[in-house]
Amino acid sequence: MIALAAAKAPDIDWAGISSLLALFAGAVVVLMVGLLRARFARQTLVPALSIVAFAASIGLAIWQWDEQGSLMSGALALDPLAMIGVIGVGVAGIAAVLLSIGATAPREAAHGEYHAMMLVSAAGMAMFVGGQNLITTFLGLELLSIPLYVLAATELHRRRSLESGMKYLIVGSVGSATLLYGFALIFGATGELDYGAIAREVGEQGLANDVLMLGGVAMIVVGFAFKASVAPFHQWTPDVYEGAPTPVTAFMATATKVAALIAFIRLFDVALIGTSDAWGPALATLAAIAMIVGNVGALGQSSLKRLLAFSSVAQAGYMLVGVVVATQLGAQATVFYVLTYVVMTAAAFAVVEAAERETGHDGVEALAGLGRRKPLHGVALTLAMLGLAGVPATVGFVAKLRIVQAAVDGDYTWLAIVLVVGSMISFVYYLRVVAQVWADEAPAGEAVVRTQTVEVEAPETLPTSTVAADPKGTPAAAVPSAAALAVAGGSQLPMTIVAVVAGAAIVVLGVVPGPLMTVVEDVARAVSGLVA
Amino acid sequence: MSPAEAAWIVLVLPLIGAIVLGLGFKSWRGIGAGIVGTASVGLAFVFTLVSLISMLGREEGQRQIASSLYDYVKVGGVDVRMEILVDPLSLVMLLVVTGVSTLIHLYSVAYMRGDNGYTRFFAYLNFFVFSMLVLVLAGNFVILIVGWGLVGAASYMLISFWYRRGTATTAGIKAFVINVVGDIGLVLGVILLLRHTGTVDFLETFATAKETFGEGGDGSLTAGLLLVMVGAFAKSAQIPLHTWLPDAMEGPTPVSSLIHAATMVTAGVYLLARLHPLMELSQTAQTVGMVVGAVTLLVAGTIGLVQTDLKRVIAYSTMSQIGYMIMGVSAGAYFASMFHLATHAFFKALLFMAAGSVIAAMASEQNLDKMGGFKKAMPFTYAAFVIGGLALAGIPPFSGFFSKDEILAVIGEQGGAYWILYAAGYLGAFLTAVYTWRMIFRAFWGPPVAEAKELEEGHLHHAAEHRNPATGEVEDTGVGFPGPDHHIAERAPAMKLAMGTLALLAIFGGLLGIPKVLTPLEHFLEPSFESALEGHAVHPGGGIIVVGLILGTVVGLLGIYVAYVIWAKPAMDGRGATAVSSQWQARFAPLHRLFLNKWYFDELIDLVIVRPVRWFGRFAHDTFERLVVGGAIVGGSTGAVRGASAVVRRLQGGYLRTYSAVVLVGLAALLVYFLLQG
Repeated sequence: MIALAAAKAPDIDWAGISSLLALFAGAVVVLMVGLLRARFARQTLVPALSIVAFAASIGLAIWQWDEQGSLMSGALALDPLAMIGVIGVGVAGIAAVLLSIGATAPREAAHGEYHAMMLVSAAGMAMFVGGQNLITTFLGLELLSIPLYVLAATELHRRRSLESGMKYLIVGSVGSATLLYGFALIFGATGELDYGAIAREVGEQGLANDVLMLGGVAMIVVGFAFKASVAPFHQWTPDVYEGAPTPVTAFMATATKVAALIAFIRLFDVALIGTSDAWGPALATLAAIAMIVGNVGALGQSSLKRLLAFSSVAQAGYMLVGVVVATQLGAQATVFYVLTYVVMTAAAFAVVEAAERETGHDGVEALAGLGRRKPLHGVALTLAMLGLAGVPATVGFVAKLRIVQAAVDGDYTWLAIVLVVGSMISFVYYLRVVAQVWADEAPAGEAVVRTQTVEVEAPETLPTSTVAADPKGTPAAAVPSAAALAVAGGSQLPMTIVAVVAGAAIVVLGVVPGPLMTVVEDVARAVSGLVA
Repeated sequence: MSPAEAAWIVLVLPLIGAIVLGLGFKSWRGIGAGIVGTASVGLAFVFTLVSLISMLGREEGQRQIASSLYDYVKVGGVDVRMEILVDPLSLVMLLVVTGVSTLIHLYSVAYMRGDNGYTRFFAYLNFFVFSMLVLVLAGNFVILIVGWGLVGAASYMLISFWYRRGTATTAGIKAFVINVVGDIGLVLGVILLLRHTGTVDFLETFATAKETFGEGGDGSLTAGLLLVMVGAFAKSAQIPLHTWLPDAMEGPTPVSSLIHAATMVTAGVYLLARLHPLMELSQTAQTVGMVVGAVTLLVAGTIGLVQTDLKRVIAYSTMSQIGYMIMGVSAGAYFASMFHLATHAFFKALLFMAAGSVIAAMASEQNLDKMGGFKKAMPFTYAAFVIGGLALAGIPPFSGFFSKDEILAVIGEQGGAYWILYAAGYLGAFLTAVYTWRMIFRAFWGPPVAEAKELEEGHLHHAAEHRNPATGEVEDTGVGFPGPDHHIAERAPAMKLAMGTLALLAIFGGLLGIPKVLTPLEHFLEPSFESALEGHAVHPGGGIIVVGLILGTVVGLLGIYVAYVIWAKPAMDGRGATAVSSQWQARFAPLHRLFLNKWYFDELIDLVIVRPVRWFGRFAHDTFERLVVGGAIVGGSTGAVRGASAVVRRLQGGYLRTYSAVVLVGLAALLVYFLLQG
């Protein structure tokens, strides 16, 4: 069958892949524009074009919303599930690009390259969420991962950033290798690469208890758990989140999560649905471990980015519950959750990035007095934390309620209890952040640093030699470099925009979740074969 | 205007107030905030009256009105609407909440005047009222959970209102955590019920309850209800989830009065009353409710006897009174419990207000041991306290007399094992009278303390430096810890007006339900409890009512007399206020210790929950640390990574190896699991 596909060039549905093409085209254009000498082109045009590319891909995905079918001889699915993935990734991408404006990372890595890599990674995600063939899925995975490894290391003079990129690369490769091995075993067991065909073979040949098949499933679980940072395959998460430049972390935290969970749903609820009796309990256990490890791990963190990393592990556990139950309700709950997660996390990282540029580090204490200094940021971060904790009237509550409902409905009541208890623990660290935001002003020393930096201007004219002449890198992030602080003088408008829009979305969707819910119902219907 | 339309307006008004105050809290400094806050809640009360009048104009059969704005969540056949349910039950609750809230806002306008957080306070308070109204008006379980969560958050914010005070923030966290435990129970319980009924709508659930769960109920119904009751017990401070309520007295006194006496803590009672069609199908759930209520009313009563913190005594009294309501509502005494809920809101709010006035005169000191002789200096406060005390002790013709006895009459009428509850109720009534009048005798009788003498000479005592009454630490008045100056009822017309109104209600509230003679409340509530009338209704006979009324009077008077002998007489004889009570304490030393240590519930929870969790946390922390730092399990398991790691090792030592190793260990475990499945 593969031979056949290769021999005859497949028909290409240009409209169907248009959203993917937009991202690739954007990457090429951005790369070229980045070569221009004019500062305007690099600093303003490049981010603007990236946003246009992301927006175009979102627009095209909406245009293709009602299509149902497959592209490129069945390699990619064209259905609402894929499209919602593209939209989610696009939204996350726009937020990340906005956060990158004026940040250190794109300046050091060159604007064109930085944004092009982000777009390529997003294109990889678009492939990943649409992939309904083991080869495409793997291609998408690598395409999304490799730029991320590089992006994580883009703050070239900062040791933590390099380290995090390296770590991500190596542990990521272990994950990819495991996944590939798993795919090979599945292919060995069924002789098929296509999701639909695999499901058929499992049913027809009674492979649900086949050793080869199950061995493959086990390895796939590990590979995916790694990408979605589900414990115990999450260890890279805190280090990488903390080390990577914050806009990149924001992109990783949001877009990757969307892609990984949607691919999770498609692979497990379509191709491997026949073996759900085997992977259900295993995934449930992983989800429970993730909730416990993530929530307990977050308790003692003083770095906000590490805290969010552990929280993302726990959240991944929550989202996995919807996959575990293998029902329509579960798929809906997971998709809904991951979309809201994008919004809440984007709001949090926007504020973190802003605070980091001001104070030079991302400690929780750095937030003290934020509520008074910048009420908009304070409110946005508060809403993000309350949302992640699942407080009523935020969208996080609705999302969590649906996950719990899906779990109880799917006879995983014990998992629902773990989830609710986990959320209870999570209140402790989320509220600690909120308390810090509304507590009193930071110590006087810090305030002085802040007011001084505001007067420093023109970050781009700084001689790059000062950056290059620092081969050892400043030890960790504790001592902000002059360059990093100088940037703090720049406008924080992009971050405020992200924070305010995301913060508003948390409340609005919390009070009127109906429309998004309808969309998600549409999406889940694309996953046939699930119990309604 | 239909009752539902008016109810929507009632719901929105405090929200608008909270938003306006919330936006302006940094710039407003004047009394305007208090007026805006009071006006928004006062208007809500007016619209509640509109709703009531409109409701009274309807046929009895049409007094349950569900009104929805839009679909909140629609999923998997379950339709959750943004919906309110206006019926006599929610309307009575609405009247109590908005009415008492208005008076407490009015009181706060004067009482909190010196506080730097004045505007913030009213913003929180309005937000609380909004949350409480969401809870009360909820037309389905999901909206109920939303309201339930929001009142918890509001309560947390208000307990920790003086956030520079360590004890206040700790108390806030404690309250929040215990309430989250309750929320978990509520959420899981509701979802368990939802699985069987397929709807979250109250009216639909009740209409189909018998079909779904069978006449006698079944296991899943009982499990669901018990989980819901965990939520109710946590919110209403019933044993063993009660330990947060006494600590919550760290909040400003109006907060104690509003949230921790009159409204939020009675939400559990309201919830069980609301769910009565389900409760009646599960004998187990009813029994659990009755036993927990009875135990709570006795335990809290005994603790109240020996505490020396004025506000905490009233807090234990609140727990105890809610115990009556929980017991009553579980035993089918719905009218009586709702009646008691209303009268309790009147007299308990009044008692807290009077206590606040005394505490202000003592410059924030709350210890009964340091009070005395305020009778002459504060006649108005004294009168208010006595009226509240008589109502609480159940002396005729005050309101508490009728409502409490009605609960017990319904219970006694059912005979059998119910007699135990009946006896517990009257024993509790005796304790109530004793500890209530102990407060009155100790704070107002006897020789005047320095502060009281000063006040008699027309000078209100202000402490030179503010200290936390609980720990003695010097307070930071920057965030407005009660503020530089204090306000007592005698000098603040707003406080006087609020207390006076409540005092009238505490006296005449009984008119809402004099058994067999005048029962407007019961009659009004009937449509809400229609199903209960079909066969479950218990109408106490004339005999037991008369016995109860006499017994209640005797027990109450006896309690007051005992309190008089122990605390008032020795002080007047000149033997010192504690002469007799210390004798008693010596004679019953073990009991006294038990009561003083609040039956060791804090210690028990510490032992059973806190310590194991902490131990586990430490264990996990140590183990993870050792795993990561020591790299104990790494030892050569990862050939694949070893080559690559040589490059990186200089960067991060053993970390990466460990990470990959854990990945591989996890993979191995999963593989084994999956192969076993094969």
